Amino acid sequence: MQKAKFPAIAATFVLCYAFWILLDFSFKVEELIAGAVVSLPVALFSARFFIHENAGWFLHPGRFFSAIFFWCGTFMVELVKANVDMAKRCFGGCKNINPGIVKIPVDLRSDYGQAALANAITMTPGTITLDIAEDKDGKTWYYIHWIDVATAEPEAAGEAIKGRLERGLRRVWE
Amino acid sequence: MLIRIIADLLIAIGLVFALAGTKGTLKMPDTYSRMQASTCISTMGILCAGLGALVYAVFTMHSASAAIKIGVIVLMVFVTNPVGSHAIIKGAYRAGFRPEKRMEVDEFRRDFDE
Repeated sequence: MQKAKFPAIAATFVLCYAFWILLDFSFKVEELIAGAVVSLPVALFSARFFIHENAGWFLHPGRFFSAIFFWCGTFMVELVKANVDMAKRCFGGCKNINPGIVKIPVDLRSDYGQAALANAITMTPGTITLDIAEDKDGKTWYYIHWIDVATAEPEAAGEAIKGRLERGLRRVWE
Repeated sequence: MLIRIIADLLIAIGLVFALAGTKGTLKMPDTYSRMQASTCISTMGILCAGLGALVYAVFTMHSASAAIKIGVIVLMVFVTNPVGSHAIIKGAYRAGFRPEKRMEVDEFRRDFDE
């Protein structure tokens, strides 16, 4: 575990302080001072767990807007489609399922990108990420519980589960 | 009036998805499928109910602080839900829960057979 650097601490502090102001929503001087007094030790202790790489990563406009576009556009469309599909299965008597655990390859290299993709897959009903594993060649694999296994072949299953999500996330993390 | 109809409609859609998730959670045949069905509640259910409440807070209550708090609630559920689902389902697998009906494929057992 590396030591926390100053930009990481500053970024964590800004995030904590912004959350304090959002939740408190009063702009009296004593409230603002109390927020700073609480945020600073939290930032000092937790910055090294929270930020591992460059602290100003998201301030790059291309990444920032592709992230907004991904989570408000692509991801929402996939979420609604998967939800409607799942609701149909549930109201249709819960018999129309074919569960299994498939293994799919992932091309994203960054740790944050892989975590974001795994969480996006888990959020869409019908697929949950069980585990992330790396094989001998350094290739990353996800184990996914899939409610309706259409194919057990890794590449085709990967395209069906995360094709659009991964293309959206690659614009943010590559 | 129109605002009220939109807000109620959004909350009703959220409730329909929550009902679907609840039915799935009670009726699905094995642990993993039940977990999958419950994801419906915490995504579409929360999202639509939150949007309805947001419309209500902005246009009827005129309260910025309530609107921001609703936004933070939805955001927090969305950030924490996948972590919880992943931990529960992996814990269930490690604890030895297996579906009664055979799974279509099970690559995890093939690679990490105990």
